[in-house]
Amino acid sequence: MTSVTKKKLSDEVARSNAALQQFATVAAHDLQEPLRSIAGFSDMLAKYQGENLDEKSVRCISKIASGIQRMQTLINDLLNYSRIQTKPHELIQIDSNKIIQSCLKSLNASISEAGAEVVFDTLPTVMADGPQLSQLFQNLIGNALKFSAEGRTPVVRISAKRLGLYWLFSVQDNGIGIAPEFVKRIFGVFQRLHSASAYPGTGIGLAICQRIVERHGGKIWAESDPGSGTTFNFTIPNSLEENRCLIS
Amino acid sequence: MSDLINILLVDDSADDVEFTLAALRETKLSNTVHVVSDGVEAMQYLRQEGQFASADRPSLVLLDLNMPRKDGREVLTEMKADPELRKIPVVILTTSQAEEDVVRSYDLHANCYISKPVGLNELSRVVRMIDEFWFGIVKLPPVR
Repeated sequence: MTSVTKKKLSDEVARSNAALQQFATVAAHDLQEPLRSIAGFSDMLAKYQGENLDEKSVRCISKIASGIQRMQTLINDLLNYSRIQTKPHELIQIDSNKIIQSCLKSLNASISEAGAEVVFDTLPTVMADGPQLSQLFQNLIGNALKFSAEGRTPVVRISAKRLGLYWLFSVQDNGIGIAPEFVKRIFGVFQRLHSASAYPGTGIGLAICQRIVERHGGKIWAESDPGSGTTFNFTIPNSLEENRCLIS
Repeated sequence: MSDLINILLVDDSADDVEFTLAALRETKLSNTVHVVSDGVEAMQYLRQEGQFASADRPSLVLLDLNMPRKDGREVLTEMKADPELRKIPVVILTTSQAEEDVVRSYDLHANCYISKPVGLNELSRVVRMIDEFWFGIVKLPPVR
């Protein structure tokens, strides 16, 4: 490819990316509006008609409320997802040890609730968007805790090694694992492998992870042994220069 | 100083206006609320122009951000550039939770920023606290 064609192609990609971002943001904002109306008027109905409502009507209103809640969560997730590209921070030198420490702090409640053990090696300093790197680790560690297996102490290991131009990070758990036919699918938006009653969540977490890693010029993938655990691997380029080359 | 609290509510969503009014009716203090549906009307109201020539100056403005014609950011900019209007506290009350909207609003000297919660009960709680804080705790400048 000539550099002119390359430039043309990357301009086109940038344009279609921007259009997609705008679509997602507008859709999510505009979707909130009717939802707010449904929520408000259903609350009003309950409030002003409370005494007159029979059991069936009360049940309907509570079903409306839980539908609203679900829709709200989906919209918020969609907004967060679209913001990865629309609202990025600059890539700067970040000590990933500090990122992990702050993640563990915010996950503290879930970690102690799961009785889990989280161990990590000395991790490198990388060129990254701090809040995004933090969200990436938080989602991966959060998942490791969520999909833990019954009957054994959940153990999450975070490690990193140099792999040529990249740092390869791994987040390994000893949880329920993922069947081989699903390991690629899990990165899709709103993809779920379990019912919401078994494992709560909308299925956006790994899609966000993938988007963050790709924005940094890396790749993410999962390796799993169903029944004994999953390892999420992702790469981040070593330096800003390499980062830039790889992104463009 | 009049006992009656005068609030200007600027919001283009009729449903949201209805919810906010319902919530304001429940508050302890008696208040009059004037509703306008975009920034152009808001500025006319504040400057007592046209149909608002005899309007009372509000003690507090509840301002939405995203509106047709003139949005909340423009209203805020104009209010805070005006030596008289800048004394009136402006509470941004919007559906937006976007960080850039929060930052931009404070940059433009919003007095506080609140993301409208979903659902009437949550909104009532927020409105009650706005009322208690701005009219129960805060000492406001006298209304001319």
